[in-house]
Amino acid sequence: MITIAVVGLFVGKYPLSFSKLLAGDEMQWRVFLTLRLTRTVVGVIGGFALGIAGFVYQTVFRNPLASPDIIGVSSGASTGAAFGILFFQGAASVTISAFAGALLAVVFALAISALDKNGKNSTIVLAGIAVHSLAQTALMCLKLTADPERELASIEYWIMGSLNGISIYSVTVNVILCVVCLVALFLLHRQIILLSAEEGEARMLGVNVASIRLIVLLIATLVVASVVSLTGLISFVGLLAPHAARLVTKNNRIGTMFFSGILGGILLCGADILARSVASSELPVSIFTSILGAPFLIFLIVRGRKQI
Amino acid sequence: MSFLCVNKITAGYGKQKIIENVSFQLDCGCLLGVLGANGSGKTTLLKAICGILPHRGFCTLDEMTLEDLSPRQIAKHISYIPQRSGISIDISAIDVVLMGFNPHLKLLENPTESMKKSAVDALRQVGLAGKEYTNYLHLSEGQKQLCILARTLVSDSKLLLLDEPESALDFRFRYQILSLLKNWMSSDSRSAIVTLHDPALALNFCDRLLLLSDGGILGVLHPKTDPLQKMEDMLSAIYGSVSLQVCHNRNGEAQIVMIKEDEV
Repeated sequence: MITIAVVGLFVGKYPLSFSKLLAGDEMQWRVFLTLRLTRTVVGVIGGFALGIAGFVYQTVFRNPLASPDIIGVSSGASTGAAFGILFFQGAASVTISAFAGALLAVVFALAISALDKNGKNSTIVLAGIAVHSLAQTALMCLKLTADPERELASIEYWIMGSLNGISIYSVTVNVILCVVCLVALFLLHRQIILLSAEEGEARMLGVNVASIRLIVLLIATLVVASVVSLTGLISFVGLLAPHAARLVTKNNRIGTMFFSGILGGILLCGADILARSVASSELPVSIFTSILGAPFLIFLIVRGRKQI
Repeated sequence: MSFLCVNKITAGYGKQKIIENVSFQLDCGCLLGVLGANGSGKTTLLKAICGILPHRGFCTLDEMTLEDLSPRQIAKHISYIPQRSGISIDISAIDVVLMGFNPHLKLLENPTESMKKSAVDALRQVGLAGKEYTNYLHLSEGQKQLCILARTLVSDSKLLLLDEPESALDFRFRYQILSLLKNWMSSDSRSAIVTLHDPALALNFCDRLLLLSDGGILGVLHPKTDPLQKMEDMLSAIYGSVSLQVCHNRNGEAQIVMIKEDEV
């Protein structure tokens, strides 16, 4: 991951070289600090966060396909971003608006599921699907009113996800929030594993199932919201990283959770390097997370089969 | 007052009542077996007692009313072993056993070294020594059940509820799991309720037997003292015509065997 991050620091449209940086070239330093460094930090932390969040979702929902999308966080963020693009000016307002959208969607979904006192997993999923489709509808309405030349294009581009245009000024709050939430998730690791048991069983192991699950999901979703509101939707990292980590370590201990984060960071950072260097213009990062991730997952699956 | 009093428990799923007005009492150190045909409400009874299922009526354990306690407090006093554990992720056997300490740990606390030692010890007791770091999902059904039993042993609860622990086990493990249970009970102030499908096991290991039929109590048997004829009649009401025989093993210890008779 460190290697990838270092490579990420020096790849991009504006050529940077280590020797010129050491020589104290002012332009070089400015590009390095305001663009490259922030972008790499967001790539690493964002990927790490998505990997961890995916791990948490898959464990808590006891479903290997679970991802933050199922409780509507991504579509909430997209709708928020579209709203921001249409009605406000500037990149920061889009981030804030996307974050608000994601948060709103999640709070809404969890509030609906809290109405069911038995608090089953399936209720949360169903509430999430309802919120997801509501958000999608709202997004469609916003797209209809958008100016097809500029606004619609930037909405679509945002949804495809990119680490482009991230500067140090817009990330601080998100990164801090994200890191705090990640620390909380690591502290709660034991409870997350307990939630993977059947509900009655977890309850008889002294877990206050409904409230712990709510807290864990809320924190995991905050993590995702703080990332996607900066970067737009990034596919596959949250799904792939935990699977890859488990296939390698074959357990679900706290180390596996951490490893899942590391893999997420490597994947997103690597994809971002490709996104800004393969073509003459920037490409959406999701293309590369999928291109890099899918074959890797297939390789791990095939290797895993052979061992049996 | 008895150790556990179950008072007029009515429980079910949705509007459908599975058990109705079930009351019984259990003394300290007593192993209570619950027998009944499929669908007679054995599992529902256990789930109602430990509060997983909403129910009417109340239970007291050691003069505490269980319905007034939080789930976490109940978990400190009662352990419950479901028919099949819902664990479906890759996790090592020792981590499964360590889950048993959760009621005694604070939210963010981690198991201590001494807890890890007693987890290893519990696995050895149930005959899974050396399997500490085996993936739980790769264990056989019987070994999984033993692993869950080890988890229960470390949790140090007063009342143990087991739902058909023998159903996935072979002959040897069936006897092993019930002997373990007997040992665990022998340290005082503990009791267990175990639902069983195998009447022979129930007759030879349990101090008392609760017979369930159609959501109510058909009767209570004391296998050590009741006359064979009485037990035969009651068991025939559940399983169809059966007869009981007393056999002796090579040490001369008596064991009751149940034989199926032709229906008349």
